[in-house]
Amino acid sequence: MKAPLSWLKDYVEISDKPEGLAYHLTMTGLEVEGIEYLDDDVVFDINITPNRPDCLSILGIAREISAIYGKPLSFPEHNFVAETGELDFNIDILDDELCHRYAGRIIRGVNIEPSPQWLQQRLIKCGIRAINNVVDITNYVLLELGHPMHAFDLNKIQGKRIIVATAGKVRKDENPVSIKLLDGSQRVLDDDMLLINDASHPIALAGIMGGEDSEVTTETKDLLIESAWFLPSSIRKTSNKLGIKTESSYRFERGADKKILKKALDRATYLIHQIAGGKIYGKIDIYPKRHKESEIKISFKAINRYIGMTIPKKDVIKILINLGLGIETSGDEITVKPPSSRRDIIRDVDVIEEVVRLYGYEKVPSVVPKSPIYIKKDTSDGFKTRLKRIKDIRYLLKGYGFTEVINYSFMGEDEINNLDIKDDDTRRHTISILNPIRQEDKYLRTTITTSLIRNLVHNYSYGNRDLRLFEIGKVFINERQDNGLPKEPQHIGLLLTKEGEKQLYRDSSEEFYILKGVVENILDDLCVKSVGFVRSNEPFLHQGKASDIIVKFCSGEQTPTTPQEESLKIGYLGVLSARTIERLPVKILKQDVLIAELYLDTILDIMVKELPIFKTLPQYPYIERDVAILIDNSIEVARLFEILRSYESPIIENIRLFDVYKGKGIADDKKSVAFNIRYRSNEKTLSDSEIETLHNDFVNFILSRTGGILRG
Amino acid sequence: MLYKEIADSFNLELDASNSIEDINRLKVKYLGKKGIITEALKGMSSLAPQERPTHGQALNQLKREIEDLLSKREEHLKQIDITRRQIKESLDITLPGNRIPIGSLHPINLVLDEIVDIFVSMGFDIEDGPEVELDYYNFEALNIPKDHPARDMQDTFYITEDIVLRTQTSPVQVRAMQKSSPPLRFISPGKVYRCDSDISHTPMFHQVEGLMVDTDITFSYLKGVIEVFLKEFFGRNVSVRFRPSFFPFTEPSAEVDIGCIICKGQGCRVCKETGWLEVMGAGMVHPKVFENVGYDTSIYKGFAFGMGVERLTMLRYSITDIRLFFENDIRFLEQF
Repeated sequence: MKAPLSWLKDYVEISDKPEGLAYHLTMTGLEVEGIEYLDDDVVFDINITPNRPDCLSILGIAREISAIYGKPLSFPEHNFVAETGELDFNIDILDDELCHRYAGRIIRGVNIEPSPQWLQQRLIKCGIRAINNVVDITNYVLLELGHPMHAFDLNKIQGKRIIVATAGKVRKDENPVSIKLLDGSQRVLDDDMLLINDASHPIALAGIMGGEDSEVTTETKDLLIESAWFLPSSIRKTSNKLGIKTESSYRFERGADKKILKKALDRATYLIHQIAGGKIYGKIDIYPKRHKESEIKISFKAINRYIGMTIPKKDVIKILINLGLGIETSGDEITVKPPSSRRDIIRDVDVIEEVVRLYGYEKVPSVVPKSPIYIKKDTSDGFKTRLKRIKDIRYLLKGYGFTEVINYSFMGEDEINNLDIKDDDTRRHTISILNPIRQEDKYLRTTITTSLIRNLVHNYSYGNRDLRLFEIGKVFINERQDNGLPKEPQHIGLLLTKEGEKQLYRDSSEEFYILKGVVENILDDLCVKSVGFVRSNEPFLHQGKASDIIVKFCSGEQTPTTPQEESLKIGYLGVLSARTIERLPVKILKQDVLIAELYLDTILDIMVKELPIFKTLPQYPYIERDVAILIDNSIEVARLFEILRSYESPIIENIRLFDVYKGKGIADDKKSVAFNIRYRSNEKTLSDSEIETLHNDFVNFILSRTGGILRG
Repeated sequence: MLYKEIADSFNLELDASNSIEDINRLKVKYLGKKGIITEALKGMSSLAPQERPTHGQALNQLKREIEDLLSKREEHLKQIDITRRQIKESLDITLPGNRIPIGSLHPINLVLDEIVDIFVSMGFDIEDGPEVELDYYNFEALNIPKDHPARDMQDTFYITEDIVLRTQTSPVQVRAMQKSSPPLRFISPGKVYRCDSDISHTPMFHQVEGLMVDTDITFSYLKGVIEVFLKEFFGRNVSVRFRPSFFPFTEPSAEVDIGCIICKGQGCRVCKETGWLEVMGAGMVHPKVFENVGYDTSIYKGFAFGMGVERLTMLRYSITDIRLFFENDIRFLEQF
C-alpha cells in the first residue's frame, strides 16, 4: 500500500520526519518497505499484513499514526443535502449469506470529464491510473477509506432494479451464466459465484469487477453508486478461480467494514457532486445481516502474565483508546469493544497484541526460561537418534572424498524414462504436482539416481569431470499409508566418476570395487549384518558391473532343519549403462559413471544396534598357510567363500583372499584364486604336524567341492 | 710388554677396519676361542702363582677395553652404513602427499547442523514429519482456513486438493502436539516447498522451526530464547530487534531482525539500506492452534519460531544467489 505523506496529513498531524515516521510504523507492525522522495511529497510503501485490511487505506494508516503519536484523527467531509421524492428503484439481495449489506445512491445529471489535477495526482502516487472523474472518485474513496465501490450508468440498468444473487439463481437454462467484464474479457461463471444483476442479466461480478455494458462512459448522465459488503471467502474463491485480482477484490477478501460502507458512499456522493455536478437523489440501503458488536473481557493481570512484564494500567488504557477501541474498566477487568473496522480483534490474545505492539516490543525484557529437566515419556529413540546416525554417515562419506549435494525433490518424465525402469516398478508410481513451476520438475522423485544424474550433467558440462557425490534425502513412492499420505523413505545416493588415469599416485583397482568398498563401510557403520551382493537387473546399470545389495534374515516359523531365510533388497550399485549415458544431454566418453543407492530407512528399521561385547584377546600364536587354486571362471568368489565357510573347524580363525588372477598362463575358462588361512586354537599352541593334517584335509575338501586343482 | 703389544696391534687394526665384517674378524682374532686375549689368559698357567693376579687383572682390563672399542666402532660403522643406504633411498619430500581425497559437506547442512546443535544444547528435542502433507496439518490446524488471504503468504504446490507439499515445517508442531502432552520443547528442521523461483527464491528450501509449551511461558521467554540463539549463531555482539508482524498461528507475532552483519548497521545493499536483516519469525502460539490439538488454553501457553536456513547460510558465507545451493556445482560445494 502506497501512502503519500501529504494525504496522511489531511487526517492527522504529523510533525516527525519521514524516516522517524517510517521507523515508528515499522516498529508497531506496519512495515515500511520503502520511502520514495518526490519533489512535493514523500510516499511510503507499506507492507500491510493480511490481518489488517483496515490499514489498506490512507485513513486506516492515519489512525495508526494517531495512536502512535497520541494525536487526534479527523474524518473527511461527507455531508450534503439530497433531493427528496420517490426513487423508483429497487434493490433485492437473494443471497444474504454472501452479501450482508448493499447500499446504492442515485445521482442524476453529472458531467463525465477528466478529474481535477490534485485528484489525479493522488491516484497516480498510489499507483492507480486516472480514467474519468466518477470512476476516479470511487477509486479515490477506495484508497481514502478502504472501501471499494462501483459506479453504474443508471440508464443502462434494465428494469430499474438490482438483484444480488449467485449465478446459479439467475441462470435461465442449462448453459452457465457468462458476463463481459470491464477489462473486455468474456467470463463463464460457476453457479456459486455472486453477481450483481439487473432485471435481465448480470451487470457486475460482485466485489471484483463491473460489467462492460453498464460501464460509466463520457456519455453517461445518471449514476448508481454501489457500496456493499460481500463475504470474504466467497470473493476470494471467485477471484482465485477466475484469476482476477483487483484493488476491490483484494480488500473484500480480507474483510471490508460493514459500517464504513455508508460513510464511504456518502463521501463518494459528496465528491461527485462537488466535482462532476448533478443532483443527488435518495439512497437505498439493504442491510440483512447487521454487524455484531463483540465484547472481549480481559484482565490487566492476564496481559502482564502473557507478556512477562508489568505494563502500567494507564498505558494499557491509553493505547486501547487511541486505537479507537471502546473500553470499560472495573477493578482489574477491562471490557473491550473493537470497532467494526477491526475484524481481527476477536479474543483476549488479540487485545494483548494491540497493547504490546504499541507499548513497544523493545520494552519487553528478554528472559531465559528457568529450565527444568524433562524426561521424555516416550521411550523410543526418536528422530534425534536417527539424525545423529545420518550425521555420522555424512562425515564418513566426506572422509571417503564424497561431496554432499542437496537436490530438489523433483524429477521430469524424461529423467525417469531414461532409466528404462519397467512400468510395474514402484519407482514408476510417481506423485505428480498439479501446479509445477516447470515440466522438468513435475514429479516427486522416486529415486535419488535421477537427481545425481542431473548433477553429473551440470558438472560435466562445466568441465568438472572427477566427481564423487552423495546425497541423503527422501524419495516419494505413490503408495498410500494409513495416514492417507504417500511413503517418503530416506535414501542415500552415491555417484563416482573419474576422468582418465593422469594421477601422480596410481590407484589401479576397478572403480566398481572402490564404490563397493565405500558401500560396505557404510553398511558396517550402520551395523548391518549378513550383507549379500547379487547380480542386479536394474535396467539402467551395466549388466556385468551391477549388484543388488541384500540382507539375509530369518523370519517366519523356524524349524531346526529349514530355517526360513529371506532376503531383502536394501540398495544397488553399479556402472550406468551405455544406453542411459548416451541419452544424456552431454557426451560422456571414456569414463564410467558409477551409481549406488541405499534404502537408508529400510536399513535403519531392520538394523539392530548392538553394543560390542568384549572378547578376550587370543593367548596362543597363530599359524598361517597360503593356498592358490585354479577353478572355473564361473565360480564367483562369494560362492567359493560359501564353500570355504561350510568346512567347520574351530581352529580356522580367518580366511583372507589376496589374489584373483586371469590371463597369461591360465586357460581362458579358469582363474587362479589365492587366499591365506590363519589357524589358531584357544586352548594351546598348535604344532606343525597338527596343522599339517588339518590343512591337507581342508585343501582336499576345497578341491573336491570346487573341482579345482592346486597351483604349484 | 705383552699387553702393550696386543693393544697396539689391535688399535692399528681397529683404525683400519671399515666394515661390519672387519669388526667380526677382529672379534674372532682377539676375543674368539682361540683369540689372542684368550690364548694369553690360558698362557698365565706358566706364570708364577703370585704374578697371576696382576697379569689376570691387566688382561681382563684389556679385554674389556677391546670389547668396548669394538662395539663402539661397530655402532659407528652401522650408522655410516644406514646413512649411506638412506641417502640412496632418499625421496623428493616436496612432492605432494598421497592424500586420501577429502570431500565436503553441503553448506546448508553445515548451518543446519549448527542450528540443531545450539538448540539441542538448550534442551530442545528434534521432531520430524512428512514433506508431502495434508492440507489440514499444513494450514487448517494452524488457523489458516481454506479461502483465507493468509494463504497468499505462501504459494503452495498441490498434489491433490487436500494434499500439499508442506510450505513450512509447522505441521510437525501440530503432529507432535497431537502425539504428546506438555511440557514440550523441540525443533523441527526440514525441507519445505513453495511455488516460487527467482534470484532469492527456490521452489524447495530448508526451515528450522521450534516450539516450547508449558504452563508459564511468556513473550519475554520467547525474546530470551531467540536472543540466546542468535548470539550463539552470529556472535555475542549482534544486535537483535523484535517488531510486530502477523502469522495466523501466533498472537502476538514478531519478525526478528539482526543488525546487518555486513555493514554493521550503517546501511548497505544486503540490508536494503535499513541496517537490519530479517532472520526469523516468531510469536506466542495462537490459542486456536492449541484448541485444535486439544490443549487447555487456560493452562498452557507456548511460543513458536521459525527461520530459513538458506538465508542464514547466505549471510554466514556471503553467498549472493540462492540458486547456487541446488545447482550442486562442485566448484561451489568444495569451498565449504
